[in-house]
Amino acid sequence: MDIEKLLQALKDNLLSLLGEKLKDFKPQLEKEINQYINQSREKLERWALLLATGSITNDELEWLLKSQQDLVILKTFQIAGLSKIKLNNLKNSVIQTIFKTIILAI
Amino acid sequence: MKKLKLIALFFLGLLASCNAIKTAVYDQYSYQQTTSLKVDVSKIVDKSTEQYSKNALEVQKIALEMEKMMEYEKNKPNNEITFAMWQLINNKEKNSVAGFFKRWEEKGNFSPIFLEESKKQLLEGFDLLIQYEVRKDQQSKDNLLTLINK
Repeated sequence: MDIEKLLQALKDNLLSLLGEKLKDFKPQLEKEINQYINQSREKLERWALLLATGSITNDELEWLLKSQQDLVILKTFQIAGLSKIKLNNLKNSVIQTIFKTIILAI
Repeated sequence: MKKLKLIALFFLGLLASCNAIKTAVYDQYSYQQTTSLKVDVSKIVDKSTEQYSKNALEVQKIALEMEKMMEYEKNKPNNEITFAMWQLINNKEKNSVAGFFKRWEEKGNFSPIFLEESKKQLLEGFDLLIQYEVRKDQQSKDNLLTLINK
């Protein structure tokens, strides 16, 4: 099993998903997502070993790999949500500043 | 000067009504239910070396609770992200909790090693949901502190 190839496929699938659904957040998300995908390496190596020793079947490995891809998607949603919270914070700060400025000017 | 103030107020209103970046506030019920379901899923997955038929009723009960939770999240305003996460976890065609239950039913039972590896995956999905809800709580606290300190 080529781990590098798998990680790349995971990244490619995810970035295409990002392109479709979360394009507004794409630049800031990419770094965090890459970090999370790299953390998948340990799991992939463990599963490859389990397959080599016959502890899991090909079918089970495929299920686990797809579950990892789904976890990456969940992580993407989480990061996008946290980005929205940060943007909302910024928006609130801007509103407060404008409001204070107007009040002072009146 | 008056015209300038009106323009500023207009933009203030526009910014405040910007729905694209609004996020649902922290919800204690969501947090409690999600952590409770995580424990339920963990317990039932531990039994997946046994035949599905022996545990079918319990699995169906948990699946129903998860569907109710997804419906609850669906109807909260500005809650698209959490709802999308629940949709994935509840989708039988995906490889998360509902998909695991479907596979268990099809295969009959699992090996202890597959159980161990897949359980980690399922619980990690719940952790992502729980962590997200907790961060909303932090956000609510921060907002309250800002208001108090004004």
